[in-house]
Amino acid sequence: MGNKLIDLQGITKSYGKQMVLDDLNLYIRENEFLTLLGPSGCGKTTTLRIIGGFESPDKGRVVFDGQDITDLPPNKRHLNTVFQKYALFTHMTIAENIAFGLKIKNKSKAYIDDKIKYALKLVNLDGFENRMADSLSGGQQQRIAIARAIVNEPKVLLLDEPLGALDLKLRQDMQYELIRLKNELGITFVFVTHDQEEALTMSDTIVVMNQGYIQQVGTPEMIYNEPENAFVADFIGDSNIIPGTMIEDELVEFLGTKFRCVDKGFGNNKPVDVVIRPEDVELVAPEKGTIKGVVTHLIFKGVHYEMEVMAGGFEWLVQSTKMSPVGAEVGIKVDPFNIQIMNKPESEDEEAVGVDE
Amino acid sequence: MRNCAKRIYLFLMVLFLYLPIFVLIVASFNDSKILGKWNGFTLEWYKQLFDNASIMNALRTTIVLALLASIIATVLGTLACITISKMKKSTKSIVVGITNIPMLNAEIVTALAFMLLFVGLGISLSFSTVLIAHVTFCIPYVVLNVLPKVSQMDNNMYEAALDLGATPFQAFYKVTLPEIMPGILSGFLMSFTMSIDDFIITHFTRGSGIDTLSTKIYTEVRKGIKPEMYALSTLLFVTVFVLLFLVNYGPKTKAKKSFTTLIFKNKVTVAISMCVVIIASVFGYNLLKDDKNYIGDVYVYNWGEYIDPAVIELFEERTGYKVHYEEFETNEEMYTIIAKGARTYDVICPSDYMVEKMIENELLAEIDYSNIPNISNIGTQYMNSAQGFDPGNKYCVPYCWGTVGIMYNKNMVDDEVNSWGILFNEKYEDNILMQASVRDAYCVALSYLGYSINTLNEDELKEATDLLVAQKPIVQAYVVDQVRDKMIKNAAALAVIYSGEAIYMQKENPDLEYVVPDEGSNVWIDGWVIPKDCQNKEAAEAWINFLCEPEIALMNFEYITYSTPNVAARELIEDEEIRNSQIAFPDESILSRCSVYNYLGKEGDTLYDYYWTMVGGAESD
Repeated sequence: MGNKLIDLQGITKSYGKQMVLDDLNLYIRENEFLTLLGPSGCGKTTTLRIIGGFESPDKGRVVFDGQDITDLPPNKRHLNTVFQKYALFTHMTIAENIAFGLKIKNKSKAYIDDKIKYALKLVNLDGFENRMADSLSGGQQQRIAIARAIVNEPKVLLLDEPLGALDLKLRQDMQYELIRLKNELGITFVFVTHDQEEALTMSDTIVVMNQGYIQQVGTPEMIYNEPENAFVADFIGDSNIIPGTMIEDELVEFLGTKFRCVDKGFGNNKPVDVVIRPEDVELVAPEKGTIKGVVTHLIFKGVHYEMEVMAGGFEWLVQSTKMSPVGAEVGIKVDPFNIQIMNKPESEDEEAVGVDE
Repeated sequence: MRNCAKRIYLFLMVLFLYLPIFVLIVASFNDSKILGKWNGFTLEWYKQLFDNASIMNALRTTIVLALLASIIATVLGTLACITISKMKKSTKSIVVGITNIPMLNAEIVTALAFMLLFVGLGISLSFSTVLIAHVTFCIPYVVLNVLPKVSQMDNNMYEAALDLGATPFQAFYKVTLPEIMPGILSGFLMSFTMSIDDFIITHFTRGSGIDTLSTKIYTEVRKGIKPEMYALSTLLFVTVFVLLFLVNYGPKTKAKKSFTTLIFKNKVTVAISMCVVIIASVFGYNLLKDDKNYIGDVYVYNWGEYIDPAVIELFEERTGYKVHYEEFETNEEMYTIIAKGARTYDVICPSDYMVEKMIENELLAEIDYSNIPNISNIGTQYMNSAQGFDPGNKYCVPYCWGTVGIMYNKNMVDDEVNSWGILFNEKYEDNILMQASVRDAYCVALSYLGYSINTLNEDELKEATDLLVAQKPIVQAYVVDQVRDKMIKNAAALAVIYSGEAIYMQKENPDLEYVVPDEGSNVWIDGWVIPKDCQNKEAAEAWINFLCEPEIALMNFEYITYSTPNVAARELIEDEEIRNSQIAFPDESILSRCSVYNYLGKEGDTLYDYYWTMVGGAESD
């Protein structure tokens, strides 16, 4: 991955009294697939719109390829957007839609025709030139919206929840399609979604956002395995988040029991949050576990069973391919490297960053 | 079975809705002036329609007005929609509500409000005031059609255009505008239709000299609707029908894209042709003014159908004045316009009692008779009669006159008709027609009872009222215009009628006879007056003088058939029968039995109206 292509510096934005983004700093590298992930209202779309030029920040700078483009209108920026509801021009044919940007730039007819052919091929919709936009299915419209954007050869493609309106199967197909497109085009994708699975599947880098703040930036693996705070842990996949005390390095106590872990440097006898992924909880015979419990709920989920186990006064969420019936007495065991320790929020600022509960 | 019932129901519905229009359309092709009598197919009325300069002028005004109004309203309305769609939800619903109100508001209220506003601001009514009013009432229809399109449109579309490199202007022009085009077109067509359709608002806001088709038709109604008006109404209906058809079915059908694209792709053509139409119309309008010997304008306000159009042309040719000719339907309507100062005219033709009222309210200027040498052609007996409402003959030159009497069908009435009493004879139950006008109805009753037709004595009025109430069960109807057709078609035996109409009716049906009863009756005189705020008194006096020329008075007499007070003109009548007609020119003995209506004052009017409500004559119609 290359140099910083887009650099957001101290971006602040509010609508009326509502603060949407507070001093946001973020850079996006060339040829990166970066995903802004977070619940609705977290500021991810606003961030995207600021990059696209549809909103201007109250404070801060947007630097693109070394140049300050904060005040540049959208039509002067070398990036294109794929909108959530596609925003195809319904009074034009597919070909006219795709040609729109090129005609504005006064490209030759031959060039435009070539580009239309190429773009339609790229999105697997050859021969759709003369169809009207609203005669296409949602998935097809989505591809046309992408085709319309990429013929302009942008350095960055901004995608605002582009798969949100598609059904599950189509969404999964389009995820692979987008990865393929990104590899073929070799350009930067900035992708906005609230769907963590989508983010984990496609991204090089995930930016988890909440209430206008960046919570964590990292690769999908980092975000999933080592969430930096309870919000990220909770938002990315399911988690057991249990308040505890760091007794000393590599030893944590929670639910009245001491567990070995691998984290260091939290200090001695410090209050912390402990995160354990449900698939990392092992159910064993009662006497072999660290704590004992009883299975209270059982659901079959296809790939695995999902169980709730009451143990040590906490309701554990457990995912396993092995089933334990409701009422069974079990023991709970967790490998030390599957125990993730997080600081408890102390200051007010950090509170806002924290879980919204 | 159910299907069959459904179909019959649908058929009845359509019949109910369109039968009146169908009758109108058939009448416009009927080679007979009498309704309900089919004489064969003809296009004569359409031909006459297109030969009639004043109607063609009204047509041009209507189209220019509708085009300008709908274009301006469409632009303003569309811009408003874009702004409204950007508003917060709460503000938006309030603003949309406000724009909807004018559509639901009673038109007469809007019309009066406009007139008061313009007059209040001291803006004299003109083409611009009508235009402003039309633009105003059209805007809600544009908003109604465009706003849903704007709201429907994904706001991202505009942003997508910007994103693809379009400037804000390009984005609006290439994306927003075409996307909402179907709405704009519907809005435009609907405004156009509404503007063509409108009568009330136009009627109240137009300036002197401006007539649209609807106001033209309305003024023509007074003398009975001529068949060319059927033709005009038919054309109007067809135009509106086609436009509404386009509005409702054009953008929705499968041809939607091609229709919109067609209009839009050919926008240059459309724009150019519209400009051509407007410029041509305006230019054509001005051409009329560019007469070589043009020396000034004269604004004339007269009853509908109350002059031979050729006379106006002759006057223009002879004097070089450009005549702006306008018509009114009732004295009261004319009075409101003049008293409010809404429009100014140079010369007006009110009836006797209205002249008196205008004199009393100081609305008239004295006539300088040194400018009207032809006054000598007017018979002294008529000048004397006119003294009844214009003492000293200072303000009014008699133009037409006549008596109120009984018209009867010789074959249907075997008694001698010489008294109003015959109208109270039960023998003729359901064969009697009365005039639906307060003064004429009371003229019958009061004369029969031997009282003055201008009485303010409540006992006398009460007695007359009782008489009319008692008579009502045997009266077929209180009517205005249908009296002619009914009598000609033998649909009634007796009718109260004006002498001028009697001559025309006798021509159509020789069985009809006219009588002024022995008890006496009303003699009415319509005359020319000059209002105080007249802009060109010289022209007004030239107009009056011209109409007093014997040849001209004769032309008018032959056209209107109401009696002329011009004795020199009477001498020129070739047809001896008419020249000596007791109907057109009753002898001194009949005239001496008759008196004019006097202005009764505000209280007198109220008194008559009060009793008139008891008779309920107007409602029975």
